[in-house]
Amino acid sequence: MRIIIVGGGEVGFGLAQALSLRHEVIVIDQASEAADRFDKLDIEFIVGGGTTAETLRRAGIDRADIIIACTGLDEVNIVACGMAHQLGSPQTICFVSREDFLGLSEQREGLERFGIDRVVWPEAQLADDIERIVATPGAIDAEVFEQGAIRLVEYRLDSDSPLIEQTLAELRLPPGSLLVAVRRGDTFFIPRGDTRLMAGDKAIVMGTAAAMTEVQRRVTPAAGTGRQRVTIIGGGDVGLRLAERLDAMKGMELRIIEREQKRGEMLAARLRHALVLNGDGTDLGLLEAEDIGRSDVLVSVIDNDEKNLLASLLGRQLGVRRIITRVSKPANLRLFERVGVDVALSARGAAVASVLHQVEGGQASLLAVLEEGEGRILEVQVPPQHDGRTLRELDPPRDSIVGAILRPDKAIVPHGTDRLGSGDRLLVFCTRGAADQVRTFFSPRR
Amino acid sequence: MRLAVVIHLVGVLVRLFGIMVFLPALVAALYHEWTDAAGFLATALGTLALGEGMRMAGGPRSQAAAERLRRVEGMSVVAGTWILMAHVAAVPYIWAGLGFIDALFESMSGLTTTGATVFRDFDAFGRGIFFWRSMTQWLGGMGVIALFVAVLPRLAIGGRELFFAEASGPTDEKLTPQIRQTAMVLWRLYAVLTAAEVIALLGAGMSLFDAVCHAMTTLAAGGFSPNPASLADYSPAVQWVILVFMVLAGMNFALQVRVARGGHGRALLHDEEFRAYLGAILVATVLLVPFLMVNGTSLAAAIRHGLFQTVSIITTTGYASEDFNLWSDQAKVVLLALMFIGGSAGSAAGGPKVVRHVLMARYTLRELRRTLHPRAVLPVKLGGRVVPDQTMREVVVFMLFYILTFAIGATIVIALGADLVTGITASAATIGNVGPGFSAVGPMGHFADLHPISKIVLTLEMWIGRLEVLTVLVLFRGEIWRSARWQSE
Repeated sequence: MRIIIVGGGEVGFGLAQALSLRHEVIVIDQASEAADRFDKLDIEFIVGGGTTAETLRRAGIDRADIIIACTGLDEVNIVACGMAHQLGSPQTICFVSREDFLGLSEQREGLERFGIDRVVWPEAQLADDIERIVATPGAIDAEVFEQGAIRLVEYRLDSDSPLIEQTLAELRLPPGSLLVAVRRGDTFFIPRGDTRLMAGDKAIVMGTAAAMTEVQRRVTPAAGTGRQRVTIIGGGDVGLRLAERLDAMKGMELRIIEREQKRGEMLAARLRHALVLNGDGTDLGLLEAEDIGRSDVLVSVIDNDEKNLLASLLGRQLGVRRIITRVSKPANLRLFERVGVDVALSARGAAVASVLHQVEGGQASLLAVLEEGEGRILEVQVPPQHDGRTLRELDPPRDSIVGAILRPDKAIVPHGTDRLGSGDRLLVFCTRGAADQVRTFFSPRR
Repeated sequence: MRLAVVIHLVGVLVRLFGIMVFLPALVAALYHEWTDAAGFLATALGTLALGEGMRMAGGPRSQAAAERLRRVEGMSVVAGTWILMAHVAAVPYIWAGLGFIDALFESMSGLTTTGATVFRDFDAFGRGIFFWRSMTQWLGGMGVIALFVAVLPRLAIGGRELFFAEASGPTDEKLTPQIRQTAMVLWRLYAVLTAAEVIALLGAGMSLFDAVCHAMTTLAAGGFSPNPASLADYSPAVQWVILVFMVLAGMNFALQVRVARGGHGRALLHDEEFRAYLGAILVATVLLVPFLMVNGTSLAAAIRHGLFQTVSIITTTGYASEDFNLWSDQAKVVLLALMFIGGSAGSAAGGPKVVRHVLMARYTLRELRRTLHPRAVLPVKLGGRVVPDQTMREVVVFMLFYILTFAIGATIVIALGADLVTGITASAATIGNVGPGFSAVGPMGHFADLHPISKIVLTLEMWIGRLEVLTVLVLFRGEIWRSARWQSE
C-alpha cells in the first residue's frame, strides 16, 4: 500500500517506523530538521506543507491508499485530509487534540463533510482510559466492552494480596470471570490451571460486570465505596477532559493543579466542584499544604515526561495509594513503571497501535491494547469452520484465549463446554506475537 | 466630559418627556378638570421649549459628538435627565396647590417608582393628577430613557451607555445585538403586561380609571394608588390579581422575554436569581403567616396578606392589602429585611436586587475558602458562568454606598425630629424605592409632616436609589468637573 503521513513528530515517526516494513511510506513535514530522524528508515521524506496541493501531488496523492494527518495542529490535519480527499481518493485518518472541531465526541460524523474517514483523538482516549482506571479501585488498567457488559481489569498483586501463593485452580474465581494473562517481570503469559500467582505479578482478569464486582471484593477488600480523593496534576487537554468527567461523578473529591494562572481560571470556570490550585505539580510545599498525600489516586498528565515523573514520585513519597502517569515518549513506559509509577499510559502509543491495526487488521478489530502493546483484545466473528465446536475443541493459537462470547441478547464469559454458533462474536485475548495467527485462525476458510 | 454634549442630549430627552405630559392634560380634560388640564398643557409646552432650548444651546456639533458618548457622559446625561424630569413633573402638583419641596418629593417618588406620598387629603386632587402620578411611575418603571432609546433612532449608538446607566442591577445582557431593538422588545412586553393587568382588574370588578392607574403602578413596582387606603379597600380577587403582576414586575423582564420566546419554563428555574427571588418570597411568607395568625387572623387571610405584603415589599412596590403598620414588630421586621433585598436585576423593582445578595454571599464564601486553600483559583460563578472581577467590585462598592447612604439619610431624618422607626424606615423605603415605611410614614400615613430638609434628603435618596447609587455618586467626584469642557477641541 502507498501510505502518506503528514507530520513528522512522535506519532508520525512511530507510524512510519512500523509501516515502512511492509508498505511504501511517504512522510511530509514542513521542517527539514525532522528529516534527520527519518534517515534510517526506508521511506521517502518530502519537505513541504501538508495542506499544499503541490506537495500532496509530489507525494503521489492520486495513487495513495491511505493518508494519515498527525501534525500537532488540528486545523492543519483537517485541511490536509480535506485536500487529500479532493485530490485523490485515499482513506483519510485525522489526528485531533482539541474538542473544538468535534463538539461532542459522539458527533464525529460532522467531520465526514471534510472528507475524513476516521478521527483519532489520543488525548480523549487517554482521558477515557484514566477515567476507567480511577473509577476501578485497586486497578492499574481497566477496559469495558459491549457497553459495560464485559469488563477487563488489571491488578498488581502485592505481598499482602489474597490471590497469591495459590494455583489458579485453588483460587476459585467467581463464575463468569477468567484470569486471561499474567505478567511476571519481562514475561507475559496465559496461565493454566496449575499456574501459581506470586507477589509482584500483574494479573489481567476478564469477566461479566456482576462477576467483576465480586472479583473486586476479593482483590481489594479494603477499598470502600466512600469518597474518592483524586488529584490531577496538569490541566491541559487530557487533564481538563478527565477532570470534567470525574467532576460529574458522585462522591469524588477532585483537586487539579495547574501552573498557568489563565489556564487555571479557565479550568475553574468549566468545573463545578473541583478545586483548582494554581501552582507547580512538583512544588513540594504546595503538595504538602494541600495534603495531596491523602489522595487515593494521583494522576499526573503534564505534557513533559520528566515533570510527570517527578510529580508522581513526590506523590508516592507523600503516601498516595495509586499513581497514574502520562508518558509521551513510548520508550519511557517501562522505565516509569520500574521506578514506582503504578500505571504509565501513553496517549500516542495507544493511538499509533490503533491506527496500525486499522491499516493491517483486516476482519478482526482491535478493541484494546494492554501492557504497552504486549497484550491485545481482538474482536472476531466465528467463521463457518468453527461453527458448533465447543471451546475445548477449538484449540486456538498459542498465547491466545477466548475471553468472552458476545451474542445479540447477552455476553458470557465461557467455560470449556460452551458451544460456538456462527452468529457469535468473540473477544480474544492474545499477546502481540500471536495477533497475526489469531486473525488467520478466525478468518473464514475458503 | 463635554458639557455641550450632555446638555444637548438632556435637552433631547426632556423634550420627549414634554410630549408625554399632553396625555394627562387629555385625561384631566376628559373629567372636565379644566384648571388641571391647563396646568398640564402649560407644563407640556414649557418643557418642550426648555428641551428645545437646551438642545440648541448644545450646538450643532453636539449631535454628531453624541454618537461617541463616553461612559461618564452617559451617566451625567441619565442623572441630569432624571433630576430635570422630576422638576418638570412637579409643576402640575405645584399648579394644583402643593409647595415646591412637597411637589418635587411627589414627582421624584413617582418617576423613581418609590410610591411615598406627601398627599394628606386625597380628595383635594382631581383625577388628572392621580393619572399623572401613576403615569410617572409607569414611565419610570421600565426606564424613561430606555423608552426614548427605543423610539429615537438617533440614540442608536450613544444609547448603549444611556441604557445601561439607567438599567437596574448588574446586568448587561442584550436580547438582540442592537440596544434599540432590546429596548423596544422590553417596552413592548411591559406594555402588553400592563394591558393584561388592566383587563384582569376589570374582570375582578375594578372601575376603568382605578384599573388603569393600578396597572401602571403595579408593573412599575411603584405603589401609588389613587385610593388613600391603597389596596385595603378592594376585594381579595383584586388583591390576588395585583399580587401576580407584582411578582412579574419584580422579575427580570429580559428573562420573561426569553421564556416567552423559547416557549418553555425550564429556563426560569435554571436562572439562579429567579430561584433566589422565589425562595426569598417563600421564606418570608412562611415566617409572616404564624406572626399574623397570633392576632386571630384566619389562615386564608394570613396567607393572602402575608404573601401580598412580602411580594409588595420585596418588589419595592409598596402597596398595602391591609394596614401593615398595625402588625406586630415580629412581622414588621420581616418586611424591613425585605426592603434591603429588592427585586431582580433588569426588573422594575428597586432595592439592592436579589442577584447582588447572591453574589455577595458567594464572594464571602469564596474568601472563607481562600483562607483554607491560599493557592486555589476560586472564581465567583453565577448560572455556571464566571462573574468578572470588575462586576464583583462594583457589587461590593454598590452595597457599601447603599448602606452608607441609607444610614446618613436615616440619621438626618431622625436628627430633624422624626422618631427612630419613622426615620429608619423612611430612609430604607426611599433609597429602596419601596414607598411606605412604618410608624408615621406607614402605608396609610404620609411623608408630609417631616421636616422640609428631611424631605429633600429623602428625595435625593430616591434619585440615588433608582439610578443605583454609582451613576449619581460619580457626579460628586471633583475631577469630573475640573476636567469638564464645554466642547472637546
